[in-house]
Amino acid sequence: MATDMIKIAGVSKVYDTTQRGRHVALGDISIDIAEGQFVSILGPSGCGKSTLLYILGGFVEATTGQVLVNGQKVTGPGPDRGPVFQEFALFPWKTVLGNVMYGPLQQGLSKEAATARARELLVLVHLQNYEGFYPKELSGGMKQRVALARTLAYGPKILLMDEPFGALDAYTRTRLQNELLDIWGRDRKTVMFVTHSVEEAVFLSDRVFVMTKSPGHIRKVFDIDLPRPRVRAELLLDRRYQDYVIAIERLMDEQIEEIA
Amino acid sequence: MARLNAIPGVPVLIACLAILLIWDLLSRVVMVSGLPPPWGALQEVPVILTDKESLVNILASLRRMSIGFSLAVAFAVPVGLLMGRSRLVAAFFNPLFMIIYPVPKAALMPIIMLWLGVGEMSKILVIFLGVSLPVIYHSYQGSKAVEEKMLWSAAAMGLGPMARLLRVVFPAALPEIMVGCRTGVVLALITMVTSEMIARQTGIGNIFFNALDMAQYDTVYAMIIVIGILGFLCDWGFEAVRRMLLGWAAPVHDIAVGSA
Repeated sequence: MATDMIKIAGVSKVYDTTQRGRHVALGDISIDIAEGQFVSILGPSGCGKSTLLYILGGFVEATTGQVLVNGQKVTGPGPDRGPVFQEFALFPWKTVLGNVMYGPLQQGLSKEAATARARELLVLVHLQNYEGFYPKELSGGMKQRVALARTLAYGPKILLMDEPFGALDAYTRTRLQNELLDIWGRDRKTVMFVTHSVEEAVFLSDRVFVMTKSPGHIRKVFDIDLPRPRVRAELLLDRRYQDYVIAIERLMDEQIEEIA
Repeated sequence: MARLNAIPGVPVLIACLAILLIWDLLSRVVMVSGLPPPWGALQEVPVILTDKESLVNILASLRRMSIGFSLAVAFAVPVGLLMGRSRLVAAFFNPLFMIIYPVPKAALMPIIMLWLGVGEMSKILVIFLGVSLPVIYHSYQGSKAVEEKMLWSAAAMGLGPMARLLRVVFPAALPEIMVGCRTGVVLALITMVTSEMIARQTGIGNIFFNALDMAQYDTVYAMIIVIGILGFLCDWGFEAVRRMLLGWAAPVHDIAVGSA
């Protein structure tokens, strides 16, 4: 058994707001994730799944519990955990190349080395012809490719993806899912992927954690035993894929009925 | 006519001619010595602009204006940026500026003269006060609006709080800062003239109000034209700088000039 790279132990998040009083955003979560695993967190909106990701990233402090990455307690953000957000969060004053170079330059690479590194990644995300463009000149899909390249450029061991394809149209979304699996297949980084799309979670992941509605708990874990590399057209016809999707959808429907 | 509008400068020229025409008509109808026909004033403009003493005065004014403006920007931008990122700093400065904002800065001139005398310092301080507030306000708004996820992305790359303020918050807020500075340039001109009205020694305001006292109305109106042209040139030059610096940004809304 490989050692767990990420250990999330008893993590919860409570907001004390003056308007609404105590708001429990995330209830007691414990998850272990092995190195090189692609893990999805699936849940209805407002269940705190993004909050969990932010806590792992060190952007938000947990109210209770702790997060260990390679045995080290997470106390803040660091280049070992690279985020990719739904909002892209690119630096609008930098060109595509400037955005992707930013991390390597910050790590002390020379300008030449950082440029070379950035160009490598732009080839990887098929944007080698756009290095002089500013973010405002790009489509949503292209912006998210830049954001992914910018994060990969500083070599994080863990990718934290916060509904990264949520703002994209269906066609771009499936294309980027394929590209992401392609890129992931090269060096198998550990990925924590937050989404509310069941099919996306099953298609991409080794494991899917299904969360309950607010305050979010882990309701069930699915080990997705499907061969890789995965090809969408084949999976759609694969009985096992269909079973996973149906089982998870039923589980999520039950929750909605409980609320209604 | 529509074609004519498309030629740069033509609408401005038409507007100027219209003003001169209305002015001419009014001066013929009203027939008071305080409103001479425009042609006398127009003839006076080149006389003023070639007179050595007038030029010395105008340059002295411009010097004050640039010093006051530069000091104000150097002070206001960091304060505004800090206010936008720290609730504590905002809570301290906000009420202070709310009280100062509606006070006409030139009205403080007599008090300032008691502290600093009638010389350069008083005038520069008044210009400084006039320019600071809109620049602080817009820097504050720009800094507050910076996307949290952009800062998180930078934090993951290893930028500390100070580096984030300088290298993320500042450039991200720059379009809004420039809106404040553009208002500031116009306010610098206004406060410069009024301060020289109150403490007359040298400067544009000095020529203007001396001419007024001596009932040299052609000179008075010529000075209004000169001040108008200066304002136009400052704004035009500023806009050129803004466009050069902010090619990456989406166009910003038009600005309104606040109180002096």
